Amino acid sequence: MNTKNILSTVIRETSVAYALFDHRLQLTSSDFTSLPWFLPEGCPAEASDIWTLFPELVGSEPLVDSLLAKRKKRFVLEKINKLGPDDRLYYADLQFMAYSFQQPASRGVLVLIFDRTSQVAAEQQLQQQYYELQLLRSRLASQPGFLSNAILGASPAVQEVRAFIERIANHNTTVLLQGETGTGKSLVARVIHNISPRSAKPFVEINCAAIPDTLMESELFGYKKGAFTNAQSDKKGLIEEANGGTLFLDEIGEMPLSLQAKLLTFLEQKAFRSLGSTDEKRVDVRLIAATNRDLGRAVAHNDFRQDLFYRINVVSCTLPPLREMGDDVLLLAEHFIELLHFEVNEKVTGLSPSARAKLLSWHWPGNVRELRNVIERAMIFARRDKIEASDLLLSLPPAPAGGDDFILPATGFSLEEHERKLLEQALKHCRGVQSAAAARLGLSLDTFRYRIKKYDLNPRDYS
Amino acid sequence: MNISVYSKKICMLGTFGAGKTSLVRRFVHGIFEEKYLSTIGVHLSHKALSDSVTGIQFNLIIWDLAHIEKFTAATRNYFRGAAAAIIVLDLTRESSFAEKQIRIKEFIESNPGAALVFAGNKTDLLDSHEQVESELHAFAARWQAPAVLTSAKTGENVESLFELVVAAMPEAKKR
Repeated sequence: MNTKNILSTVIRETSVAYALFDHRLQLTSSDFTSLPWFLPEGCPAEASDIWTLFPELVGSEPLVDSLLAKRKKRFVLEKINKLGPDDRLYYADLQFMAYSFQQPASRGVLVLIFDRTSQVAAEQQLQQQYYELQLLRSRLASQPGFLSNAILGASPAVQEVRAFIERIANHNTTVLLQGETGTGKSLVARVIHNISPRSAKPFVEINCAAIPDTLMESELFGYKKGAFTNAQSDKKGLIEEANGGTLFLDEIGEMPLSLQAKLLTFLEQKAFRSLGSTDEKRVDVRLIAATNRDLGRAVAHNDFRQDLFYRINVVSCTLPPLREMGDDVLLLAEHFIELLHFEVNEKVTGLSPSARAKLLSWHWPGNVRELRNVIERAMIFARRDKIEASDLLLSLPPAPAGGDDFILPATGFSLEEHERKLLEQALKHCRGVQSAAAARLGLSLDTFRYRIKKYDLNPRDYS
Repeated sequence: MNISVYSKKICMLGTFGAGKTSLVRRFVHGIFEEKYLSTIGVHLSHKALSDSVTGIQFNLIIWDLAHIEKFTAATRNYFRGAAAAIIVLDLTRESSFAEKQIRIKEFIESNPGAALVFAGNKTDLLDSHEQVESELHAFAARWQAPAVLTSAKTGENVESLFELVVAAMPEAKKR
């Protein structure tokens, strides 16, 4: 078997084709026997120039000149797909190489064609599923009703939140979400991610209050094997996991000061070093931070770095507490009933008028989270198809030490009525002893007497 | 009389599912398929088209590119030597307007001076065109490029889209 035969056998057995062109870029020899689908339709391999056989080179004339002049050795085009005569898609990698002819002494271009069909077909199947899913998600996100379905409510406060999300979703700006606990900061962060161009990439959520200070740096930035005693292998940090997507740092006000400096450096430079590593890693993440603390006050008390505060407070939004959302309380309550219908109690279908009134009069210190819990509990204990006022268990959370913040309900509050009740309770607890009752309310005896007279209360009635 | 025919490489850019392949198939073969089949790598098609004003003939070699997740040296090779790009935006999905995903900047860096034409595709899925049309033109205006509303399904403006590309060629502008 001579060399030419060996070469032909190798070419056929390895699913490779080749074409060789002289310095005038005319075809001098070729073998397409193993990849017949590659040839352009109606184009005989013989007597063709490089432009006819490889239209992929049109526009790249300077590049072909470089190959002929041997200023460039090779040029690769990957995954060129062709429709075969059997209507199947075939894939090939093309390698264009500078070639030297010995007789006559001149230069040419050798093109090798590698069949990649089987590898790419598997890749295509995976990609197809992934893109179909993403297509569906982004279509849903673009539907006019998507935002109103994701962020429920018709109050002006909720409409402002929706407008905010729409304005900032397509930008890469860092976002700071503020608001009381239970106002839905995590939900808003997810919605921003889902309708942003990063929606196909990861959304990584970290609750800074839930991770012990000692672990937070390794969780966020990852570590190299051997960085500390139990680091038995390299571990990616959550920041790296979020590459291309969105990093949501919830309760950022709880982040230890020592780590705030490293986070600031990362935000400024878009790069970081894992624990125990000297290599710098670059990642592209959008940061959304959230807090229920007054970060301005935390800065004043040296609990939060001022420079980090300014860095994350580029665009901020304060989510409204439920008590400022008026009738949206009912809308949300009905949404939770619908949501929990099958899971908790199929019998319950809505709210009675008394339940609606009770929900509207409460001041919701725990916000939407509290509302959901109240509805879930009521559905468990409800005996009828409508939740009654008596099914709704509304209670104040235990007052924090030194906590003195009174929250005015959206529906208002009768000061006189409550003052009268407090005076009555104090008298009752102290069995009508005025000095003790006054002390219980932090009033002087004279003031106490003035007030019980105002409400026509007689201490003897309580002795 | 010797009539020159200019062969030109045109790249189709846009996010996945924007309708790049459907526009090419409608233009080249006059067909449309509802089923979405994601493209891998690149598929080349040819079609001859004359500039309606000058009558100059162009042989368009259309590079239907897959959505580009990562811009690599291999991707840059796809862009090399292109005379124009058609940027396809899906009017039903705001996310298809994300500049970074479309790789317009990378395309211009590889081909300074290449023409850009924007296609706002899938008009057949919209009830009203007015708002998206102004958004499309505002988007295209950032690159001082023309834009046209298209539907690969109905064929609306598909021929006009490629005519805009041809009209933007330096050879057509010279005469």
